[in-house]
Amino acid sequence: MQFQFDWSAFFESFPMLMRGIKFTIVITIGGLVFGFLIGAFMGLMKLARHVVPRTLAITYIEAIRGTPMLVQAMFLYYGVPMAMGLRIPPLTAGIIIIAINSGAYIAEIVRGSVQSIDPGQTEAGRSIGLTRSQTMLYIVWPQAFKRMIPPLGNQFIISLKDTSLLMVIGVGELLRTGQEIVAVSFKAFEVYLAVAVVYLVMTLTIARGLRVLENHLEMKTKR
Amino acid sequence: MESTEMIKIVNLHKNYGELEVIKGINLEIRAGEVVCIIGPSGSGKSTVLRCINRLETPTSGTIIVDGKDIMDSETDINHVRTEAGMVFQQFNLFPHMTVLDNVTIGPVKVRKISVTEAEKLGRSLLEKVGLADKAKNYPEQLSGGQKQRVAIARALSLKPKVILFDEPTSALDPELVGEVLEVMKQLASEGMTMVVVTHEMGFARDVADRVIFIDKGVIQEDNAPDAFFSNPENPRLRDFLGKVAEH
Ligand SMILES: Nc1ncnc2c1ncn2[C@@H]1O[C@H](COP(=O)(O)OP(=O)(O)O)[C@@H](O)[C@H]1O
Ligand SMILES: [Mg+2]
Repeated sequence: MQFQFDWSAFFESFPMLMRGIKFTIVITIGGLVFGFLIGAFMGLMKLARHVVPRTLAITYIEAIRGTPMLVQAMFLYYGVPMAMGLRIPPLTAGIIIIAINSGAYIAEIVRGSVQSIDPGQTEAGRSIGLTRSQTMLYIVWPQAFKRMIPPLGNQFIISLKDTSLLMVIGVGELLRTGQEIVAVSFKAFEVYLAVAVVYLVMTLTIARGLRVLENHLEMKTKR
Repeated sequence: MESTEMIKIVNLHKNYGELEVIKGINLEIRAGEVVCIIGPSGSGKSTVLRCINRLETPTSGTIIVDGKDIMDSETDINHVRTEAGMVFQQFNLFPHMTVLDNVTIGPVKVRKISVTEAEKLGRSLLEKVGLADKAKNYPEQLSGGQKQRVAIARALSLKPKVILFDEPTSALDPELVGEVLEVMKQLASEGMTMVVVTHEMGFARDVADRVIFIDKGVIQEDNAPDAFFSNPENPRLRDFLGKVAEH
């Protein structure tokens, strides 16, 4: 039997994938918002003077970066409820997993960016009487944040793609939705191709948006 | 005399690990005095200056700034830093802020005065250093000399009682040195207390009340400029002045 590409199966996939696309977007954005908060907190903790917060941050970062996200997802969704007796709905679990996972990478982005700012900036801030936290808030952070944007955009793309792993815990994201369509239509080639096209469009859009944002910020300082 | 004492340093020591950088320095600076510190590179000039506003923590010794012991844990070091401004060799302006914001952030965030009031103060300070027209520019649009004048205005924005200058003209192209020294001369003539680490011997000779020579972490000479330059007794100083003169 010869393979025939079924154009209508390909095109008809897109409307059916809509729900999955929405889930993927919600999980990615929700996860990254919390992931950024976790990452900013942990990244700054890793720069703390005291050994206790530093150790906590390092432990978290190494534990997450040293284990596969798939394992983290299985552990949180199937493992933790066994121990704690509470079930987390798949969507919430998805957001939590993306947040905890991206948080570790974002922590390193934050730490690196903050550390890359000339110590003279901190000294100048302190020399006019600003406190440590004021110096971070008004002097170091705004400059560091600008340097975070490219790697954060990169993390955005990585996390978006990583949401596909959440299909194993039954989150109705894009790939899972595709799989469900295939289960009915058996058009694996056409449907998974459509899924891939959607991921590609989303990641290219992010990359594009990022370039625009970077150019915009570049212009602003060269005013 | 006691009441006019602005800075008093007693038996200051500073080690970086095994390396002893400052080996027992004693120094008193009175209100209104301009003191220039000269000495070879690596002799500890910056370290002494940075201990005064505790950007470096002394290993031992006592430093009193405007009556406050900076080593005392009761002392609000942020307040001391508003009384002792600092100007850096590399300017260290805040590149993400306009020139005006650079000179108003201290008054607004530290002194907690209103933005309107701070901007009035800021503009008058920029006028003083001859940069009123640059208020809305960003630091990277300025020449080195202009940047350093903004940095001086920023140090002045907290209305400090003393300003510490760490080689303020060493990063500048030679033709830009004059405009910065001009501003410093004006400050000196207005009675500002100044401690200036510098290689500008002309400035030290003309403007300073006292010149100090530091070598290997020790004050080798502390004298009025005339005696200091025309009749140096310390052989190390004579050697140093000879080397500087050759350049
Ligand atoms: N943070 C530091 N860690 C280790 N050594 C330092 C540090 N800062 C300065 N030093 C050393 O202390 C000595 C004095 O430095 P410094 O005060 O900057 O000299 P100067 O300003 O007279 O050129 C130098 O030998 C320098 O290498
Ligand atoms: Mg120095």
